[in-house]
Amino acid sequence: MKGFIIRKLLLTIPLLVGITFTTFSLIKALPGDPVYSIVGERSSPEIIEKIRKEIGPDKSIVGQYGGYIKLLMQGELGRSYFTNRRVSDEIRVKFPNTMRLAFASMLIAAPLGVFLGFIAAKKRGGAADRLITLLSVSGISMPVFWSGLLLMLLFSLRLKLLPPSGTGGIRYLLLPAITLSLPAIATLVRVTRVTVIDIMDTPFIRTARAKGITESGISTIHIFKNAMIPVITIIGLELGSYLNGAVLTETIFGWNGIGRYAMEGITKRDYPVVMGCLLVGTLVFIFMNLIVDIIYHYVDPRVRVHGTDR
Amino acid sequence: MGLTGKISSGVLVLILLLSLAAPLIVPFDPDAIDLDSLRQPPSAKHLLGTDNKGRDILARLLYGGKISISISLFAVLISMTLGLAIGLVSGYGGGKIDAVLMSFVDLILSFPAFLLAIGISIILGEGIHTVMVALSAVGWASFARLVRGYVLSLKESAFIEAARSLGCSSSRIILVHLLPQCIPLALVMAGLKAGGYILTEAGLSFLGLGATPPTATWGSMISASRVFINSAPWMVFFPGIMIAVTAVCFNLLGDALKEKYDIRIDREF
Repeated sequence: MKGFIIRKLLLTIPLLVGITFTTFSLIKALPGDPVYSIVGERSSPEIIEKIRKEIGPDKSIVGQYGGYIKLLMQGELGRSYFTNRRVSDEIRVKFPNTMRLAFASMLIAAPLGVFLGFIAAKKRGGAADRLITLLSVSGISMPVFWSGLLLMLLFSLRLKLLPPSGTGGIRYLLLPAITLSLPAIATLVRVTRVTVIDIMDTPFIRTARAKGITESGISTIHIFKNAMIPVITIIGLELGSYLNGAVLTETIFGWNGIGRYAMEGITKRDYPVVMGCLLVGTLVFIFMNLIVDIIYHYVDPRVRVHGTDR
Repeated sequence: MGLTGKISSGVLVLILLLSLAAPLIVPFDPDAIDLDSLRQPPSAKHLLGTDNKGRDILARLLYGGKISISISLFAVLISMTLGLAIGLVSGYGGGKIDAVLMSFVDLILSFPAFLLAIGISIILGEGIHTVMVALSAVGWASFARLVRGYVLSLKESAFIEAARSLGCSSSRIILVHLLPQCIPLALVMAGLKAGGYILTEAGLSFLGLGATPPTATWGSMISASRVFINSAPWMVFFPGIMIAVTAVCFNLLGDALKEKYDIRIDREF
């Protein structure tokens, strides 16, 4: 187990190099002086000088990349063009909000998606299955910015039950969390359904039935436990993608997270902000994938025995 | 193909035909500003109402549909071609080629897709081609990964063995023997991917990274009418319906093909 985690961590290193090199190349590819793509022209001369020393044109490309890594190690993601604040500070303030939203929507999506997927699989081919499947296809096909706006129109503007936008307690959290949960519910339904159907067809379920175990016993003990493995994977991956900032949902509801921050960067062409959010979002994403891999390894004995090179 | 597959492909063809025939169907110029008819609700003259500049929404939906759908389809075509080529070479070639190509695939897949698409679009600047490039640059990787896996499973089968012992060259085996086997898998992925691309394209244009205004796309229409959601909900409602219906149809088509060819794709992709 320990060896597995260490090997996984080591495998992450080339990935980190690849990712930072990609963001570095993106910064270099932006129009204009790359130094200003990191700090903006309004920064103090000392800071501009410091950045230029690290990634300036008098160094080779490899040297510039090294300088870029050095800046990142110091927590220097750049400064906003407009506010001149450190991008890393802003992200630190906004990230907890993004986290709250991500976890809240997963809290809605996970039980609902698994439950509906389970029902659909048990009633395979029936009316309930077809209805749930259709709903889940609609769920992954609706743009979140649209479903979010419609929810806002209904619950905030017409029924006046919830505030239309802003960051705050549960009343503010509810609508964006529901919006964000819709595609996750849909994905979870699909995955749970397929997994459960697969398990129902395996011999060990037939054996359990032959032994005289009740239907509900089979459902909970045999099917549910085995179905949880891929489902946990999907929950982790979806959570990972929400944690990198639900750009569209946060924007619609004015939720003060890194997704909306990225959006502000995009509309104002504030490159340091966009690149900072891209980098941090990606790091969070691969970190979540790493955790998912480890959990997967931990809960599934089969992977531990012969799938060690996953 | 089952009934849902037929219905969804029928609806897709219908949407595409209507978009292509837009000039024959609606008498309005999609970009013509009409200050006398601002934000009118659906009526006999303007079937789906007008927007905040008095432009006919139906006209903009149809003209915009042509752009949104063709961007997605072209991006699917590019990612499919790239994914097939790289997946085949990587899977059949094995060894160092495989290691290099797949670590590149891993790198792309380790980025959150939408954020990476945003990053690429920002650099290329707004425009239709930008969206196409951004979608394909991000999307080919999962194609390649799946094709490679499939090729690996085919590689050991008897017919490839036979071809090799008959003295077929690698390129002949890849092009004549392996490629046709991969087509069904590629079609299934294309259907599912097209649904995703419609949404991503809409998302990018919603963020202002798509086609330049005043050109209509479904995403940018929603973005522009956000502030009028309370007074003129139809401005938001109809473009969203178009996006959702199109994406649903592509997804159902992908599912139907999956069933027809009996292909399993593990994990959502």
